[in-house]
Amino acid sequence: MGTLLDVKNLNTRFYTQDGVVNAVNDVSFTLDEGETLAVVGESGSGKSVTMLSVMRLIASPPGRITSGEIMFDGRDLLKLDDDEIRQIRGNRIAMIFQDPMTSLNPVLTINQQISEVLQLHLGMDKAAAKRRAIELLEKVNIPEAARRVDDYPHQFSGGMRQRVMIAMMLAANPQLLIADEPTTALDVTISAQILDLVKRLKKEVGMAVIWITHDLGVVAGMADRVIVMYAGRIVEQAPVGELYASPRHPYALGLLKSIPRLDEIRKEKLEPIEGLPPDLINYPTGCPFAPRCPYAIQKCLEERPPLAPTTSTKHLSACWRWQDVKR
Amino acid sequence: MTAQIIRRLLWLPFLLIILTIITLALAYYGPGDPVQVMLGPRAPKEAAEALRQQLGLNDPFPVYVVKYISKALQGDLGESYKYRGQPVGPLIWERLGVSAQLNLAALLIGTVIGIFLGTVAGLFRNSWVDYGIISTVVLLDSIPTFAITLPLLFLFAVRWRILPPGGWQGLLDIRAILPIAILSLGPMTVFARQTRANLLEVIGQDYIRTARSKGLPESMVITSHALRNSLIPLTTLFGLALGGSLIGGSFFMETLLGIPGIGRLAFETFLARDYPVITALVILTAATIAIANLVVDVAYAYIDPRIRAT
Repeated sequence: MGTLLDVKNLNTRFYTQDGVVNAVNDVSFTLDEGETLAVVGESGSGKSVTMLSVMRLIASPPGRITSGEIMFDGRDLLKLDDDEIRQIRGNRIAMIFQDPMTSLNPVLTINQQISEVLQLHLGMDKAAAKRRAIELLEKVNIPEAARRVDDYPHQFSGGMRQRVMIAMMLAANPQLLIADEPTTALDVTISAQILDLVKRLKKEVGMAVIWITHDLGVVAGMADRVIVMYAGRIVEQAPVGELYASPRHPYALGLLKSIPRLDEIRKEKLEPIEGLPPDLINYPTGCPFAPRCPYAIQKCLEERPPLAPTTSTKHLSACWRWQDVKR
Repeated sequence: MTAQIIRRLLWLPFLLIILTIITLALAYYGPGDPVQVMLGPRAPKEAAEALRQQLGLNDPFPVYVVKYISKALQGDLGESYKYRGQPVGPLIWERLGVSAQLNLAALLIGTVIGIFLGTVAGLFRNSWVDYGIISTVVLLDSIPTFAITLPLLFLFAVRWRILPPGGWQGLLDIRAILPIAILSLGPMTVFARQTRANLLEVIGQDYIRTARSKGLPESMVITSHALRNSLIPLTTLFGLALGGSLIGGSFFMETLLGIPGIGRLAFETFLARDYPVITALVILTAATIAIANLVVDVAYAYIDPRIRAT
């Protein structure tokens, strides 16, 4: 399978009154056609900003993509003009967001919001678009789709709205779906339904998925590969099984240790990661995780470790002591 | 929704009666004597007493109120004290027509220009366009009507002689231009600032990001997703201004430009303690505002689907 997305040395900055926020720093990763990539990390680690950069949806001002290359299907998205990137958004790359309660326009019907995509990207007329909108709603398991298509967002529950969002974003059969914590605002059972739905649709449509989350449980059930981000940087990248079995970055290890496990009979306490993430305005010169890291040595504070292959070329870690990191 | 409208309509008569009583009480017990204004301070006591008797001012307050209300229900609002012999109804009606035409025209023009300026300012936020529009608007808003009427009158009617200095020959006459321009400044400034503020708030909403992520051109994001949401809260402002424009008038502007409107009438009758006219004006104002509020609430239900449901 070919490479669909190839991001190289992406840097995104926010120019605020307090200074320049280094939100995304030298991020490089690739995604194959049909692959599912999970991006994990705590709030403010740059997961969403990285993906919004791919969509070129960074609000400017204050934000700006300062350097890098985002090759999608052979074209550098950063070199496209506004019209060209619009033809990609919602068409070839679609994105769903965290809060389904606020992500739909409250004064437009579901039909208007889905049809818009169909009319814009597929050139359908109103009637055809509506028929297709109903099919799409059926596809995401909205009961009585033909009747509900003329309803407004407030007439749907949170889980239903997220289904509507998914239907809307899949309308043009995108090659890549970016899901930015789509289940965070939903309760556990609804969240599981949404996960199953995306898995099923992914199989049907054959699209690639980037799933942003801070729920490692979701990652295990969904992803082929995982990227762990910290302070706007990728610190570890590995096939999903390998990351769980043998993480090679202390931060990824810390994340895994902080989730409860059902297969261990009794453990005294979950282990939190002590301390706070670094200031992204006065970005540290060494490893950004060093101040919180139990493995840190003097070198870590002075010199930033590059993201480099560890046990295999598929398993990368940005740690000087990756060989010592053990579960 | 229908039940609510009916309930509120049923309340309206009670509201008006209570208001009438309060207004009459203020006139009855308040300072100032209409008879003294009418006859002058040196009028003979007997003449004053006779007039007072004739006007019903010597009745006990409850009698005074009942008489007024029962006559009003038959459509008789009494005679003006100041314009002797003229019934209050037609007197107000004539002036009202003039002011309402001017105010409505000014409100519509001011609203359209205001929304346009506010949208432009919001779209080019924090640029010189935005600063230019907003500082002009704030400046215009800070100048009272009487302070802006005179210089405009001087420039257009005296210096450049483009417009006549005043008078009233109907809405489609050249004399209406200056008063409409002056009156439209108020709604224009309010709507410009409010539109800008609402637009900026809406543009930061998640659903605008959704609209952009669908690949919609920015013009569609603004027109079909942002503007509609930002104009909804303006319904209240517009509805209340509409109610106000039907009954209100600017005393200064109408006096300086020689327009026979309600503002002038109100001011003159206040000075003359012309109770029948004042009472009628107060009741009319209250009724108009109450109905305007009701209309605004009904209009909301049509504009905002979230309210329609409840």
